[in-house]
Amino acid sequence: MERIGEGLSCSSKSEAIGELVFVKTVEDVINLFDSATGKICLVEEAGTTTLGPILSDLSGVLCTTGSAGSHLAIVSREFGLPCVMGVRFNVKDLNTLNGKKCKIMTEEDDKGIVLIES
Amino acid sequence: MEYIEFFDEGTTDPALLGGKGSSLIKLMQIGIRVPPGFILKANSYKTFLDESENSEQLKELLKTELSIKKVLHFSKSVKQLIRSTRIPPKIEKQIKIGFKKLKKESGSQASYAVRSSATIEDTEAFSFAGQAKSYLYNYTFDEIILSVKKCWASLFSPTALFYILQMNKKGHKLSLLDIRMAVVIQKMVNAEISGVLFTSNVINNNNNEMMINSTWGLGETIANNMIIPDMFILNKKKFEIIKTVVGAKEKKSICNPKGSFTIIIDTEPKYQEICSLNQNQLKKLYDLGSTLEREFHSPQDIEWAIENDIIYTLQSRPITTLKKET
Repeated sequence: MERIGEGLSCSSKSEAIGELVFVKTVEDVINLFDSATGKICLVEEAGTTTLGPILSDLSGVLCTTGSAGSHLAIVSREFGLPCVMGVRFNVKDLNTLNGKKCKIMTEEDDKGIVLIES
Repeated sequence: MEYIEFFDEGTTDPALLGGKGSSLIKLMQIGIRVPPGFILKANSYKTFLDESENSEQLKELLKTELSIKKVLHFSKSVKQLIRSTRIPPKIEKQIKIGFKKLKKESGSQASYAVRSSATIEDTEAFSFAGQAKSYLYNYTFDEIILSVKKCWASLFSPTALFYILQMNKKGHKLSLLDIRMAVVIQKMVNAEISGVLFTSNVINNNNNEMMINSTWGLGETIANNMIIPDMFILNKKKFEIIKTVVGAKEKKSICNPKGSFTIIIDTEPKYQEICSLNQNQLKKLYDLGSTLEREFHSPQDIEWAIENDIIYTLQSRPITTLKKET
């Protein structure tokens, strides 16, 4: 797998594998409601706690901003989900990641990395 | 008074004051610096549901069997109805009394934060984090009344409804008719720096460390994932900075210079690179965290803000996610 980004892992020693889905709107969340199981959701900045209804079905969460103190991180930890915040990707168009097999893992204490099957 | 309670009045019933409200009163009682304010108790929301001119319509709507497909439409209908319904005059009258007293204490230049304090929020079982909203920099009585209604309406935002659906899917039985909300009305802190202090390191469940996120301006940019804040890991047993990571802090939330509420602006480039807290401030936060953990007998998730180098505590709640074995 190819390493495409890294950020702050909000729960150490965590690892998840799943299909990556780039979620942008509340409608995207609703559409995922019955098919979220095992997926890793990628979101950008504000309003991301709308992942609420599908959160416990997901296998992981990625966010391009945020920190361990973000509400999204707090709620993800509540559900015991691997979560990497503030991810810096070395990919120009994040849309191209949609549907690809993704792995997130903690590399060091609080450093989370994102890998993708190329 | 029946519908409002001042912070210095002394009771801390979370069922009436909500998690945030009762925790603010407890903080004040143990001598922590909290901006002055009062709480519109949860019974006022109940009275609003029971006695306002749209009471029947509101209650009928809240009986709706919630489903994921209906959330957006449902949320919009409830929010519109709440915002267009007049708060019963007997409640408005008490808010006016509270506001008058608060204004007298706070001075003519002050503005006020209107913050939701849901009765299911911030309990030890779940944090309900970020599901209900706060409305900052209100100046007039009319703005406060509208923000109170917005807080009540935020119980039914899509995000909050999703959370409730999710909790019910996990076996809890939360009904929309059972949810109550108190509202905190409090002097605004014109925060130069804000953040969150966890008295345990929530990342690695290490109870021998504290973790701090901080940024310039108001703290909503941290809570709402808008930025990457600065992060500090402290040794809990004896004050020592174990790790400092300067975050990008590309945006900050400030008072709207044209009037009420807040705006998001770009952080000046040089401030993006500067650490938002100095050693002295970190030590003060460490002391605050140590005190609160000792007083509340469990690791705390603390929201704080700094104005003129004085730290104000805006909330303290138990950390909901620590693993038992640590």
